Amino acid sequence: MSKRNGSSRGYQIFSLVVLIVLALLFLFPLYWIVTGALKTPAAINSPTPQWWPEEFTLRNFQVLFSKRSAPLFQIGSLTGPTIPGAIRWLINTVFMAVMAMLLTCATAAMAGYALAKKRFTGRVILFSLIVAAMALPKQVILIPLIREMSSLGLYDNIWAVILPTVGWPFGVFLMKQFAEGIPTEMVEACRIDGANEWRTFTDVMFPMIKPGVGALAIFTFINSWNDYFMQLIMLTSSSNLTISLGIATMQAENSTDYGLIMAGASLAAIPIIVVFLIFQKYFTKGITMGAVKG
Amino acid sequence: MTKTMSPRLRRHENISGYLFLLPSLVFFLGFVVYPMAMCIWTSFTDANMNSNTKDTFIGLANYVELWHDPVFLKALWNTIIIVVVSVPVVCIFSLWVASAIYRMKEGTLSFFRVVFYLPVVTGSVAVTVVWKWMYNNYYGIFNYLLKGAGVIDKNINWLGDPKYALGCIILILLTTSVGQPIVLYVSALSNVDSSLVEAAEVDGANNTQAFWRIKWPQIMPTTLYILIITTINSFQCFALIQLLTSGGPNYATETVMYYIYYTAFKLYRFGYGNAMGVILAIFIAALSAVQFRLAKED
Amino acid sequence: MKKILALVMALCMIFALAACGQQAAPAPAANDAPAAEAPAAEAPAGATEISLWTYPIGKWGDEATVKALTDAFTAETGIAVKVEYLTYADGDDKVNTAITAKQAPDLVMEGPERLVSNWGANGYMVDISDLFDDTDKSEINAAALAACFAPNGAAYEYPLVMTAHCMGINYNAFVEAGADQYINKDTHTWTTEQFFQAVQALYDHFGGTVGAVYCTGQGGDQGTRALVNNLYGGTFTNDEHTAYTWDDPLNIKALKALYDQDGIDFDASIVGGDEIANFYNGIFKMAFCWNIAQQLNPNSADTGAGLTLNGDEIVFMAFPSEDGTAKLQGGIWGFGIFDNGDPARIDAAKQFIKYMCDSEHTVDAVRASNFFAARSAAEGTDLSGVWADNEIMNEYTKLMPMLGDYYQVTTNWAGARAAWWNMLQQVGGSDGSEAAISAAVADFCGQANNG
Repeated sequence: MSKRNGSSRGYQIFSLVVLIVLALLFLFPLYWIVTGALKTPAAINSPTPQWWPEEFTLRNFQVLFSKRSAPLFQIGSLTGPTIPGAIRWLINTVFMAVMAMLLTCATAAMAGYALAKKRFTGRVILFSLIVAAMALPKQVILIPLIREMSSLGLYDNIWAVILPTVGWPFGVFLMKQFAEGIPTEMVEACRIDGANEWRTFTDVMFPMIKPGVGALAIFTFINSWNDYFMQLIMLTSSSNLTISLGIATMQAENSTDYGLIMAGASLAAIPIIVVFLIFQKYFTKGITMGAVKG
Repeated sequence: MTKTMSPRLRRHENISGYLFLLPSLVFFLGFVVYPMAMCIWTSFTDANMNSNTKDTFIGLANYVELWHDPVFLKALWNTIIIVVVSVPVVCIFSLWVASAIYRMKEGTLSFFRVVFYLPVVTGSVAVTVVWKWMYNNYYGIFNYLLKGAGVIDKNINWLGDPKYALGCIILILLTTSVGQPIVLYVSALSNVDSSLVEAAEVDGANNTQAFWRIKWPQIMPTTLYILIITTINSFQCFALIQLLTSGGPNYATETVMYYIYYTAFKLYRFGYGNAMGVILAIFIAALSAVQFRLAKED
Repeated sequence: MKKILALVMALCMIFALAACGQQAAPAPAANDAPAAEAPAAEAPAGATEISLWTYPIGKWGDEATVKALTDAFTAETGIAVKVEYLTYADGDDKVNTAITAKQAPDLVMEGPERLVSNWGANGYMVDISDLFDDTDKSEINAAALAACFAPNGAAYEYPLVMTAHCMGINYNAFVEAGADQYINKDTHTWTTEQFFQAVQALYDHFGGTVGAVYCTGQGGDQGTRALVNNLYGGTFTNDEHTAYTWDDPLNIKALKALYDQDGIDFDASIVGGDEIANFYNGIFKMAFCWNIAQQLNPNSADTGAGLTLNGDEIVFMAFPSEDGTAKLQGGIWGFGIFDNGDPARIDAAKQFIKYMCDSEHTVDAVRASNFFAARSAAEGTDLSGVWADNEIMNEYTKLMPMLGDYYQVTTNWAGARAAWWNMLQQVGGSDGSEAAISAAVADFCGQANNG
């Protein structure tokens, strides 16, 4: 605690206590999911909460891995070996989130550069359109989007979830804000040196906005991972599901196997938490720079 | 600047500008603008699920009906409440947490930052299952704790009572929204020029005054950015409603986003649902424009 | 860092290829059933794969059980079946989005309330009346047969199994509270008066919620409908199935009686599945969302069938009515064919229906469901004895004669169901006065009729 801060000791202790209570509240769902996944069905359905599993079991994971199966991959008529559905769903989800992330970053970085540094006709109109569409919930275009994907032959294909995510203009907006913070003189100096447009972008612009791209990457990855709605309406085949949808399909008639849900939720949450922990530093650094530039 | 450009340079800027935009535009026009255009068109028809009838153009009839649909008005009202409550609360809460933790040791700081970010990364479906249990009328943890503390003597049906249901949804939304703003504020606060703060303190300003005079203006861009992302976020509460309340009880948690879905896939009225979508899109575009204007002026 | 990135990229490319390859396949995801591939290759020209989407109807939601059935079918006919498993929570939405995307499955397994009065009425199903010959018509239960035909004379479903939905009670709790005197455990029946006395006795003994009128959900509405209608003999639709009649004063009387009764709570925070969960864990002493499949299936903690989590005995009961003879809500399940415009696949789907519902294999298909066969015999195989060796099923046959009118084929059924839930929520949230209840019922019944 800094002495420079003149606030009273009492306030500091008070805020620390509040912080700890809040931290517990925020930690609780994850704690409950992970411990719940290891509880027996009787314990998890019991009306009196069992704060710590009295008896550990892997039953929930066994059910998770045995209840549904799917082929590892299909390429044309070539079908991979049969594996637990949950594994396939996890692979699908990772694939979806990574592809959405890569495509969004690549397209948004280029578009953001153009919007910030290029003086082309229609720039203002286009940017207004992007700002207007930025917060649009996908429910609004639900039906046209389903029909469009169907006519493209992409319905029930993981790409039907990826493509609209990439089209969402928030990334372009974010990248434009970052690119605007880069001095125009640097771009022009490069051009005078004789570098072509592409070189200017890759050698000068991209390295400078890289922290922003990193931030956008994590932002897109997490959003796409959690975009339950798009997954729900676009995917149907059990080999094409994502992990959260897949878990939902394991419900029996009129009864909810909470242990199974918790096991599936752990399986879905742990990879993304690991990703977050690894890239945490990147994330905080990147996002700040863009924000400060306003 | 535009005026001084030679025609040659202008052509060059146009071509290179659009080439850089092209990949992004393909996706944006193809999967956002085009469906939105279809949505606007369908909103003037009576399109429905029935394959035996052709869609007919009915002009503004859907919009007129919307104006008289109490459920839509309720949904619009709830949507506004969610935005109006969650956006400022997220901003204030995350600013408070950030200012409480940003001068802590790196390890502690990192711990709190991760903890507040966890609900974001855990995934809405998983988090929702736990919250459903916590809100449970019969053995949920809130009733258990509140009863234990003697605050209430009878269980409260959190999600089943119209008085509390929307508040409960907003609370979950808050926990899944504050992660990023806290990270942003922590960074912004640590970037505040400390010599200015010291100078102010030398001038006899107390903590609060120093905050508003020195720090607040410097973190203003961050605040505006947070306003924008939180607004976006608060329109994404579909999964919560779908998994917890289906818009009930008594439409207490009905939002426009859910009602569009309900109208399309429970009542099979595509045209009517799209009309709602158009209204919502106009509403959101206006809101975004205002926010962006604010950011720009700053 | 760069190496990791390169690796990730490479992996992505592989899966991108996988996804694209799949997209290029002729039928929607036509190569997903590895086990079925070999026979499919040898099959004669025509549709070699059809898709089937099932709701969790007994063990028809269990992959291992269904796979055994479809593998046997594939072995005999060379037609591969790709099965997807729906849930009641989002199954309807999935089918509806698939229809919107023109990617509906070839076959779907559910009841006439969806197949006939929803998807059939909206023009998405194939008329399969040619599958019913005169022998079939004489063998199939008359109510089930009628329900599978739309008013225009087309058949959109071929019935496989049926049941009467019932209630479940926690018998140990009834005994403990002295409420067992109000039930006839032998006939599984009780009167309205006995029902309320029992609830009161349980409430006096245990306090809290004895039974909950759950007010949200996708399925499970049959329980609350049967409860409200039976108490004082109200009706849900008219006899012709052309209009909804919940505004019947007898229903309003029933809703008011339920509202006023201690221990019966209208709960808008739970769906039928939550009610069952709370019944299993002993919080509720009775469940309105009960049926024989649940009686036969092990409970959610795997501690056995017909027992709550702590081992209390579950007894199934008819819904209470004034004279003790309820009109139970029927559940009918069978198959329907979506019109995907491909005669070969429609033909293959018909073969599937014939195989499952009207052949010597019907016994296995029925057994998988945990319900009763919808017909007395199939192609010479007597089906009345399917469950002869099962004590609980034998006991349950006592309730089958109480099967009431199957009215779930009335126009706008999906909209009416949504309105029913909203009505219950409004009644539960009202002050419970007769005026408030009447207003809610009239409002939503009107919506159901006008939708």
